[in-house]
Amino acid sequence: MSGMSSRDARLERDPAERAADHAAIDRLTDELLPALIAKLGATGLGELEVREGAWRVRLRRPGGSATRERRASDRAADRTSDRGHASSSRPAHAPSHATVRSDSRSVATSPAVGIFQPRKDLTAGARVRAGDPLGAVDMLGVAQEVVAPMDGVVGTSLVEGGEAVEYGQDLITIEFGVPTSTNGTGPA
Amino acid sequence: MFKKVLIANRGEIALRILRACRALGVESVVAYSEADRGSLPVGLADEAICIGPADAQRSYLSAPAVISAALVTGCDAIHPGYGFLSEDEGFAEVVAAHGLTFIGPPANVLERFASKAGTRQLLGAHGLPTIPGSEGMLRDDQHALAEAERIGYPVLVKPSAGGGGKGMRMVRTARELESVLKVCRSEAKAAFGDDSLYLEKWLDENRHVEVQVAVDRYGHGIHLGERDCSVQRRHQKILEESPTPALSPAARTELAEKAVRAVVAAGYENVGTLEFLVDAHGDFYFIEINCRIQVEHPVTEAVTRLDLVAMQMRIAAGEPLGITQADVDFDGHAIEFRINAEDAANDFRPGAGTVERYLAPGGPGVRMDSHLFTGYDVPPYYDSLLGKLIVWGPDRATAIARGRVALEELVIEGITTNVDIHQALLASETFLEGRMTTNLLDRVGSAAFLAAAARV
Repeated sequence: MSGMSSRDARLERDPAERAADHAAIDRLTDELLPALIAKLGATGLGELEVREGAWRVRLRRPGGSATRERRASDRAADRTSDRGHASSSRPAHAPSHATVRSDSRSVATSPAVGIFQPRKDLTAGARVRAGDPLGAVDMLGVAQEVVAPMDGVVGTSLVEGGEAVEYGQDLITIEFGVPTSTNGTGPA
Repeated sequence: MFKKVLIANRGEIALRILRACRALGVESVVAYSEADRGSLPVGLADEAICIGPADAQRSYLSAPAVISAALVTGCDAIHPGYGFLSEDEGFAEVVAAHGLTFIGPPANVLERFASKAGTRQLLGAHGLPTIPGSEGMLRDDQHALAEAERIGYPVLVKPSAGGGGKGMRMVRTARELESVLKVCRSEAKAAFGDDSLYLEKWLDENRHVEVQVAVDRYGHGIHLGERDCSVQRRHQKILEESPTPALSPAARTELAEKAVRAVVAAGYENVGTLEFLVDAHGDFYFIEINCRIQVEHPVTEAVTRLDLVAMQMRIAAGEPLGITQADVDFDGHAIEFRINAEDAANDFRPGAGTVERYLAPGGPGVRMDSHLFTGYDVPPYYDSLLGKLIVWGPDRATAIARGRVALEELVIEGITTNVDIHQALLASETFLEGRMTTNLLDRVGSAAFLAAAARV
């Protein structure tokens, strides 16, 4: 079961579900994307993610220009922004599943309650870009991707592979770092 | 009994289940959404786990998140509380498929009682008088009009799924029926994902009386008396009491015994509630069954001194009831006041915000089930129930007197509550004489009701 990805499950859907997905995609592209692009431009964020049903859209600013932004470290406040859309009372400053802790650090958090597995080839010091996969949380056999919240360098793993994690739990720190050698990015 | 139970709910009922687990010596884990991180059940829990964001679809209503949380925390059972996933037979089935126990009726039992129209037929065949209604679901508008004509107006349009008054309308003419069908379908679709509707004969001066039953896996069933839930606003219960002032002791016993015989014969299992309408002549008609622990269960606990949540857990764990009907003693009178974050003077507009001061009432026969505390932020995402005040007395008059004192003592500052509607009820002659029907508040409108009570 644990090997089954959400993509495999998607292939076996019935026509009604597929139609619903197409409707959701249409809505995402027609209604949400223009608004999101505008929002991304206005906030100066590196990345913005929105979920609609089983679908999600992630916008990433090209060139790794994630704005460093200081935020309150209050966990509850940070995480409430992960509601898929910005509420009027609490603008979505931070990318999804990320807690920006200081000018130079950010933390990738768990997108689900389940068992965490880091990407096998992930090593401390590796350079990643915002949105790069860092691992997955297995929720009842469906892998939920853990992504880098900003461009940077992989820091400390806060949770061992195979451990149970809750929704929103801190998993891997990402340090903001100046690339030392190549301009290569982490594996896609 | 279970070793460790995942509590997949929030608010006062999460707290109630946590307490039942502790009293039984069972470990528990409170599953919560991000919006409830600072809540009392999470604060008091032995262990708590965040299962998703504030949006209930991705937390309390997400079967994968709830089951995953139970598995990773080593639980062997899940208590769904009320609402959310509590009567979802698909969820119960997946829970069982993962080797966990669903605390409630098993999936196949939930499925048998899932359709309201089907349940009416099933229990009708087992001796319960049912209210005249449409044959099955309404296929289209023409079918609806024909069925309404056959039943006779007024009729109540009801969704097959769900509860809480959504998608429900009472109509008196064919023209009215035509105009509400579309609204009811869309409301039912939005609230329950199912737009099938049926019709029921509407009794103008009706009382809502429900029978609490408990049936173990071995077909041994008892009733725990009835509750009168006639005080409603737009089909939502506000105040419940037991025993009902509407029926004589002999009539109450007859109703309760008929109810438990029918559900045992129909193969029900675990605690459940059968709802009846009682007309002006004292005739009763079965309307629906609730396959869960109900908000108003403390009323029954107060007059029977039994722990219904513990009983529910024991039955789910496969234990026999352990008591017979003769062991159930009914003592005194109990009333529950639902304390909601809503403004009775302003069409019950729901409220949210910070509780600036909270003080629970006390004294003999007073119980407060609430997750409030001073400083608590009531999140806007969920229902408006802040707690339940339950008062008990050896008779109805004493219970009412204690209710008045307790409502006066209760302090909730920072949020508008419906406490004044309860105080108005306890000043209303109709209520004091036990003559209330389900249209008591809606007939004149709640604001007018409040104003009238204030003049007394």
